Parts: sequence; structure tokens; C-alpha cells
Amino acid sequence: MPNQSSPNRYGAVAQGFHWLIAALIVTQFTLGWLADDLPLGAHKLALLARHKSFGMTVLMLAVLRLLWRLFNRPPQLPSGMSKNGMLLARGTHIAFYVLLFAMPLTGWTMSSAKNYPVSWFGRFTWPNLISPNEHAFELLRSTHHLLSDALFAIAILHIFAALKHHFWNKDDVLVRMLPFTKSEKRS
Amino acid sequence: MKRSFAALCAGIFLAAAAAAGGVAGYTADAQKSRLEFAGVQAGAEFKGVFHKFTAAVEFAPDALASSHFEVQIDMNSVDSMDKDRDSTMRGPDVFDVAHAPTAHYVTKSFAKTAGGFSAVGALTLRGVTKDVPIDFQFSPGPAGATLAGSAKLKRLDFGVGRGDWKSTEWVEDAVKISFSLVLKPTT
Repeated sequence: MPNQSSPNRYGAVAQGFHWLIAALIVTQFTLGWLADDLPLGAHKLALLARHKSFGMTVLMLAVLRLLWRLFNRPPQLPSGMSKNGMLLARGTHIAFYVLLFAMPLTGWTMSSAKNYPVSWFGRFTWPNLISPNEHAFELLRSTHHLLSDALFAIAILHIFAALKHHFWNKDDVLVRMLPFTKSEKRS
Repeated sequence: MKRSFAALCAGIFLAAAAAAGGVAGYTADAQKSRLEFAGVQAGAEFKGVFHKFTAAVEFAPDALASSHFEVQIDMNSVDSMDKDRDSTMRGPDVFDVAHAPTAHYVTKSFAKTAGGFSAVGALTLRGVTKDVPIDFQFSPGPAGATLAGSAKLKRLDFGVGRGDWKSTEWVEDAVKISFSLVLKPTT
């Protein structure tokens, strides 16, 4: 598989970003949900330390991924798609990119507001974005939760859309993002 | 008459003290002085302060043998800029303020160092007394003096951290202390 995307297939780099970030987001939801209801204790600190380290990893990957995408155009959407379908696909993808930045940034700011500076796997500490502030923390926390609900919703939409394209429209929208498959021109 | 007698006694006492050691007596200005700590959670340093403490300082650079610091810290006044963490720290697993509301530091000896002075004193924290060295600089001024310095200690030496907090995996054992005191002469 070539590194660069072609007009009908995502390249290895784009696929790598997609699946790595997807796996990290699943991990993030799991860690976030597990930590959310715990009282302050070692278990919560441990879960959130990983949540923050993975979150900052997503932020760094998001920067690289966006740069890659700007200079390496993704494959075209299938020509048979309706105008509304294309709008919905584009909108979903833009929303994903916005959230890839907004989720870690609100999380990072939240940690600063609560005076729990963010370490990256214990290797180095990210600077605080704002000074400790309880009010700001509560606001950021609800924003982070709200955005995570939005991310969950569009991820579901994204998965259903990919499956619909594959099984209903029988085009190559799903396959062209799958490693280890040959993209036979299906439509 | 009684008052002037007391003043006379005080005067004699001060003169005697001065003759004996040549130290000057000060107390810390509660409004302008600061006592800070820095702990490490999940690889990232966080800072907090103790708002309420008193410091009685008898010090002269040329009379180290008769110099003496005595500090009392109201452990309830801990402020790490996060209410949840503060209440955890006041609780039985960390400072146990219900049983040990005050920490206490009394110097035993002083020495001159390249950058200023050092002292060894006994710190009583959570009912456990251990020697903790401090490094500081003393700068006399027109209206008193300033005293700024730092110390390092291991929280587990004092049993600070039980149950969940005994592990050093998510909260490190080493804690940094720093202080900057604005001293007013005692009259």
C-alpha cells in the first residue's frame, strides 16, 4: 500500500492516523467513563493520568493528521452519492476534526483549572493553560462532557454510514480505509 | 507603675538576650508571608499553600548559635486550589487534621552556606517528629527582614499518606516546601 492517498484509496499514513486515533478514542471513552464516577483516590488518579496522556497523544496526532490531510487530498466520495449525502459526509468529517482538537484542549484546560497539571506518561509536564479556577473548571467539565456526547453521536453515524456504503450502496467507501484489503473498484 | 516595671523587665530581658547572643526577634507578617508546598501527582507537579501559620524568628547572621525559629502551621488552612483534593488532604488518610490540627517546626542548629544559611530543625507532622533541613536567605531591611528558603521532605516519613495514598506510584513521596516570610521586629 502506498503511503500517499490515491483518488480511490486512502494511503498507509492516512489509514494509520485513522485507526490509531480511533483506537485511542475508544480507550479515552473507556477511561473517562470509568474515572468519572470514582471518588478522588489512587484509582481515579491512575485512570485520569492515562486518560490525559492518551488525550495529549490524540492532540499531537490530530495536528500531524490535519497537516497530512492538507497536503495529501483524501480520495473522492463516490460519484453516485446524493448532494445531501455528500454534505452529511463532509460535515461529519469536519466535526471529527474539530472534536479531535476540542476534546483534548478542553480536557487540558480543565486540568489546569483544577490545578492537576498534565503529564505525558510521566515523561514531561505540559504547561497550565489557565490558572486554577473552580468556576472555569465546572464550565469546562460540562463542555468536555457535551463534546464527548457529540463525538459519540457522530462516531455512531460514521460507523453506520460506512456500513451502509459497504452493504447497501456496495461502493468502496469502507474498503478504501481498510488495511490488508485490495480495493477492487466496486462502483 | 506596674506597666513601666513590666517594660523595664522586658527591656532588661531583651538587653540580656542581645548581650548573650545578639539575635533580633521577629514575627512573620501573616498577610505578606507565604508558605508553599509542591507535590507530584501522576508525574506532574502541583502547588498549594498553607494560609495560616505563625513564625517566631530570632536570628542574627553573626549569632547563629543563639538563633532560633519556631513555626506553627494550621493544617486546616491547606489550599491546593481544588476543594476535593483539599478535603482529601485534611482527611484521616493524609494530614488527619481532626487528630493533628497543627504542624510544628523548631530549629536545632544553624550553619552558614555558600548561598546563605541552612538549619536543621525538628518537624512534627501528623504527630511524627523528624529532622528536616532547610536552606534560606536572610535579608534585613529598614522595617524588619525577609526570610526566603526551601526544604525537601518525604511525606511517608511522617505517615502522610495511608490507605490509597500510601503508594508512591501516583503521588510521589518527595514534597518540596518553599517559604518567603516578611518579618516584623517583635517589640
